[in-house]
Amino acid sequence: MPGGYTGKILRVNLTTKQVSTIPTEKYVEFGGGHGIGSAVFFDLVGDQLPFDAFDPRNLIIMMASPFSGTFMPGSGRCEVQGLGPMLYPIEWFGHSNFGGRFTAQMKFAGWDGIVVEGASDSPVYIDVINDQVKIEDATNGVWGMDTWDAQQEISRRAVPGLKQGEWAELAQNCFTTQIPAVVACGPAGERKSRLGALLHGPGSQAALCGFGGVFGSKNLKAISFLGTGSVPIADPKAFMDARLWFRQFQWDVDNPRDAEIFEGGGYSLINGAPSGGNVTNGGPNRVPARAAACASCPRGCKMRLATGDSNEAVCAGTMVANVGGGGMFAAFGRKPDPNAMPTALSQKLTRQANDLMHRYGLGHWQVMATRGYIEALVREGVIGKGKQIDFELPPAGSFAYHETMFRTIALREGPLGALAAEGAARMAEKLGRYQKDVSSGMLRLTYYGTQEHYDSATQVEWGYGSILGERDLMLHQMANYPLHWMAQSGNPYLDAEQASKLYAEAMVPYEDDRYLVDYGEGPTGIYSDSKVKQVAWVKHYEKFWIGAGGFCGWRWPQCITNNTADRRGATPHAEPRFWNAVTGQNKTFADYMELGHKIFTLDRAIWALQGRTRDMEVFPDYVYDQESRGSVQPMVVDGKWTYATGQGRKLDRAKVEDWKTRFYKFEGYNPATGIATRETLEKMGMKKVADTLEKRGKLG
Amino acid sequence: MSGGKKTDSTETAAKKKFTRRDFLVTGGTVVAVDALIATTPAAAVAASPAPPPEKVQAYPASKGYLVYDSKKCIGCTTCMLSCSLTHYGVQSLSLARIQIIQDSFGKFPTDLEMAPCRQCKYPPCVQSCPVQACFVDEANGNVRRIDTDKCIGCKTCLKMCPQQPHRTVWNHEIKKSTKCDLCLETPYWNEKGGIGGKQACVESCPMKAIKFVSEMPDQKETDGYNVNLRNEHWLKLGLVDDSRIVPPGSRSMGGGAPKAKMQAPKAKA
Repeated sequence: MPGGYTGKILRVNLTTKQVSTIPTEKYVEFGGGHGIGSAVFFDLVGDQLPFDAFDPRNLIIMMASPFSGTFMPGSGRCEVQGLGPMLYPIEWFGHSNFGGRFTAQMKFAGWDGIVVEGASDSPVYIDVINDQVKIEDATNGVWGMDTWDAQQEISRRAVPGLKQGEWAELAQNCFTTQIPAVVACGPAGERKSRLGALLHGPGSQAALCGFGGVFGSKNLKAISFLGTGSVPIADPKAFMDARLWFRQFQWDVDNPRDAEIFEGGGYSLINGAPSGGNVTNGGPNRVPARAAACASCPRGCKMRLATGDSNEAVCAGTMVANVGGGGMFAAFGRKPDPNAMPTALSQKLTRQANDLMHRYGLGHWQVMATRGYIEALVREGVIGKGKQIDFELPPAGSFAYHETMFRTIALREGPLGALAAEGAARMAEKLGRYQKDVSSGMLRLTYYGTQEHYDSATQVEWGYGSILGERDLMLHQMANYPLHWMAQSGNPYLDAEQASKLYAEAMVPYEDDRYLVDYGEGPTGIYSDSKVKQVAWVKHYEKFWIGAGGFCGWRWPQCITNNTADRRGATPHAEPRFWNAVTGQNKTFADYMELGHKIFTLDRAIWALQGRTRDMEVFPDYVYDQESRGSVQPMVVDGKWTYATGQGRKLDRAKVEDWKTRFYKFEGYNPATGIATRETLEKMGMKKVADTLEKRGKLG
Repeated sequence: MSGGKKTDSTETAAKKKFTRRDFLVTGGTVVAVDALIATTPAAAVAASPAPPPEKVQAYPASKGYLVYDSKKCIGCTTCMLSCSLTHYGVQSLSLARIQIIQDSFGKFPTDLEMAPCRQCKYPPCVQSCPVQACFVDEANGNVRRIDTDKCIGCKTCLKMCPQQPHRTVWNHEIKKSTKCDLCLETPYWNEKGGIGGKQACVESCPMKAIKFVSEMPDQKETDGYNVNLRNEHWLKLGLVDDSRIVPPGSRSMGGGAPKAKMQAPKAKA
């Protein structure tokens, strides 16, 4: 086995209670994480597709990467895969991921991943300590707990003598000071809510796809890992040298480069400094806190507060609830409404309301969409006392409002809860309004039931990358933070020409194309072959480095950075340097990107087996028919690079379809179907995938 | 997997006065260890800077120490993994000679504890080792070390360390005790360690929350080791309410100016 792997994947059948192993070696060619997960899914159930997400045949696959459990910067995430009940109109084979220390403990316990199949006839949780695997009864108090209580209770049960701050002796004379790493669904997941998330720690969510609901459908409350073993490293000296070399790309906490520019202000979220992810603890009323990191992350974008609320929640995990206006304004320096609730109280209640969402196990990103839709329907008189949906919410913006909202959805209370637990897309469908509300943009479910994130007509790599996938791309570092948010700061550290040049140079193997990040509407812009290459690069990077490598989408890629003198980032040099040191392989960045292409192609083959066709890979009508609100990006306008918003533009259907045709051809797919050809699949070593597709009449 | 010096325990034991079997299996365990506990002022070492009882042997002070700032630590565990990598060539939390212990559900600042070896003035691990495997390395700046060739795996040093968690670390792979050597013996690192050299945890910590110092920290509880390493740039993050700029003359282990006030959370009972 190459370094970085433990050599075995845990396989648990909850129907039969059988525990077995899959040798990792069989799947090493797919790298790790998402790559191995997709290959395992295809091998185990691919030929049985399509079936429903709540069918016991569905799998929960949670894969680590060769980097998990190592100090590879920003590689601490856990990839979760399976059919996603939240996705629409088909419950696509989806992925979500969460940070923390779950995959690290999985690796230290001796496992490269876990595959859960079947469904238990009564509630259980899986407890793994090194090579000891137990399927434990969850009916004795754990089932029914919220995500926080469940994790802590399972930790206590797993290591009864564990006292924080002391060594605990496990079996075979092994010791640890660490507590078990648990991931759990909440009451929402137990009730098979399509908004059900998986929670690890107080605020780290696998929020997308509804995997909490899949846990519930399997009567699976949680999975716990604790290990005392090691991750083997092929070239330890090279790995250590690489880690110290990487320091130049980090925020220097004692002496930040150009501190007068990057400290605070518009750069606080993207400068790489600690703690920027929690937007509910800022300003003069800030509660003392620790900047907190996932395993191996040199940034620490999370916080743990002296009050213990909103611990480890970031971004959307701190944004869904906003009590008394106390949410984001503090972090962004906005002035509070003088007539509103006192800021300190408002912020505290906001944090606690968001915590309720985490405790119920509701996925933040889609709860946000569902809440917005509910509010719109209240305004339209569809929801309210004596209305079509007879339910009255407390006053908007109050703590009671959020508490009622989250409880109603999580526990499926009343007519509103029954509808909303199905997610906004199916809620709209059941009300007979889906087509109307999504087409009009009232309900902006832009990519397969997941809500619009950034403007699809301007930040097109995000939009294209999402519809060519299975859900919101959700990868800020691809171009959004470094380019959009740099420009949005009002004081970009690179002008558009400089930024686009450095960016393109990092995007191997397309580095010779100067216009990869041109977001204009000209010949090198959003419909161009350059954009074909950029989106291919994004998808390949997503599948290999983010997916197979377990990278954080807030940290990687790093094409430019404010932390170096020449503003060049660590990409594309860092990724293969670290990977080769850990595994002992000797491949180039481009080699690994081609593996990303292979994984992307396999995912698309699975979607084809589920019924994906080219005509599904489109945006809702509003994206084409309504003028864009704009989003600042680098663009070539009148032959010159500049930062511009693109406000008022409309995405052109015919041009998008033409762009798609070129994209499919570029990737080796049949442009009529968007599915890979036999030639492409066999060239990638996936003949059996081609055979399966052909047998089902799905080959491209 | 062990560090640079891998030695078969049977072969090693045959060269020593004591063997692990002699010490543990012959029934000497309880008597021997308890006797050591009874005669070693571990509690006094931990709790008081007062001079030791006469019967406690004086040791030359270490010429190097690790101090740390537990409020600055983000819990990424890079220090632990650097430690295990440079010493053993693998990444492991259990083998790391510095421990970071944290609870995601906890409240700052008690949600996290940093636990490196203190290189104690009166080191109970050295005092209590029945085979002198734990020793003061006078050739290398008086660093308190464990010679795993000599160690018989009796775990006395684990029990005698007064800190919680104990800073001596059990290596379950070679069944020996280990401890921080300030990176004197790091076969998997290209840098020179020890006094005058570099330490893997110090070099790799992205928060610069661990620092090598030559001056012996205050031995009273953990006060002297858990210091303020934050400067004005950390203050601008607005995370802590006590990272104030301190009056001139105040002492800080932190680099950079202006210096910030030292922090000294109490050690666990």
